[in-house]
Amino acid sequence: MGMFEEVLHEVREFVKTFPGEGKREFQSRDIPDRWPSGGSGNLVLAADTGVELGSPREESVSFALWSESDHAVRDGAITLIGPDLGEAGGRDLPYGKVVLVAGGGFDGKNGYDRYRELERARYDVDLEGYMIRAASLYQREWIRISRKALQKGLTFRTLGGALIGRLKKIEYVRKAEVLFVTSSTEDVRKLKAIAGKAAILVGAMSKIFEEPRMDCDECEYRPVCDEVTALKKMRESLGKERRKR
Amino acid sequence: MKIGGKTRRIAVCGKGGVGKTSMTALMLKHLSGRKDLKILAVDADPAVGLAWVLDVNVKKTVNDLRNEIIEKSRDREKIARQELAEAVDYKLFDALTEGNNFAFLAIGRPESEGCYCRVNDLLKEIIESLSADFDVVLIDGEAGIEQVNRRVMKEVDDLVLVSDPSAKGVRVAEALWNLVREQNAVACSRAGLVLNRVRDGEEAKGVMERTSLELFGWIPEDERLRRQDVEGKSFLDLPDDFPAGAAVAGIMRKLGF
Repeated sequence: MGMFEEVLHEVREFVKTFPGEGKREFQSRDIPDRWPSGGSGNLVLAADTGVELGSPREESVSFALWSESDHAVRDGAITLIGPDLGEAGGRDLPYGKVVLVAGGGFDGKNGYDRYRELERARYDVDLEGYMIRAASLYQREWIRISRKALQKGLTFRTLGGALIGRLKKIEYVRKAEVLFVTSSTEDVRKLKAIAGKAAILVGAMSKIFEEPRMDCDECEYRPVCDEVTALKKMRESLGKERRKR
Repeated sequence: MKIGGKTRRIAVCGKGGVGKTSMTALMLKHLSGRKDLKILAVDADPAVGLAWVLDVNVKKTVNDLRNEIIEKSRDREKIARQELAEAVDYKLFDALTEGNNFAFLAIGRPESEGCYCRVNDLLKEIIESLSADFDVVLIDGEAGIEQVNRRVMKEVDDLVLVSDPSAKGVRVAEALWNLVREQNAVACSRAGLVLNRVRDGEEAKGVMERTSLELFGWIPEDERLRRQDVEGKSFLDLPDDFPAGAAVAGIMRKLGF
């Protein structure tokens, strides 16, 4: 079983709680027009902002999960729970974003580097009128969409399509999917609780890679590593590798 | 709109009390009239004088952020550089006070005791990276130019040396310029003198006969500025037609704006 399978399952259960009208789905391959790049001018100041998502004064959560199984990820799917960018009616919105990726070959040697690469990629979307400030340390993203971009019709469909396109440029990413939540602070908080579980797994993985001489008996992540097979394998594989050197 | 395709970085320095902060505020007022420009105003003076003159509310200084980040680093022994850089950028953007087409960043007091080179280097790197998003960066420096290098950025395009007509003020401006040329206190492409609170053109001419510095321009004594200052009103609210404002417009034209 992969490292994030349980968390992934929880994300799916969360989405199921929004039946019918509360949820919209798009397919990235159906997105016709390419949105222009912002180039080096992706700064959106408050006075030019049409809608703001997940600002430091709003709830915000952003995280990425991967799976070795192709069945776990619906390729190209963009799910939106809550108002779209043009529907905010001048309000700032809370913001949740989950990136789901299916790919192969995450192991003890490359798992951490690949995780970092995915982290970078999920923020690396360059669209005119779109500004992102992201802090994976706090699992937060803060987005500003310019008034001009809103008038020109920028939507989550375009944003999700660009993000999926970026993720799929990574050679080991076979499938990518994205979930956006803007419905309410409470919904984003529910997602945040799930994100917390992902953060513990990432914390354990980071420690395995960053502290080669750590003593597992004294490590606070030991119960997590013992329980999650993928982490256990990562630890063992890395241990063997280090003993060889 | 970037002038010449790149961010223009201007640092304003000079002896204490000669009017650096007023000069920076007037430059910002002039530039903020250009709606095609996005400007970052950096108050590198620990006393955050520029914030007062602009009537800007400082939420957090860079030094406050530095302390927060050091605290966060203590929570987790090792934080990947990428993660830390993202967090600094996020918090730095949140620390900005935003106006119509400008943002304001206060550097705050010099760091307290303890060596946190990693955090200090990272902060400077992120300030430089944030600056690149803007069209113009205006830095109100301390009297010591090396503080700009150490706490804001290592390279500027224009160094504006401000002095009043006093011999002492001009000597300090010359000394700052020598520090730049001889000891590379901060890398800069162009430097020049702005004479502040000058009685008339004759006085400016007399001062310039005693120095080899290039003259960017001179600003006349202006009762309107003094009143604005005394009443604690923002320099951004000054009208467009006052003598000092016209002089600054001339200086900005000379700088290519």
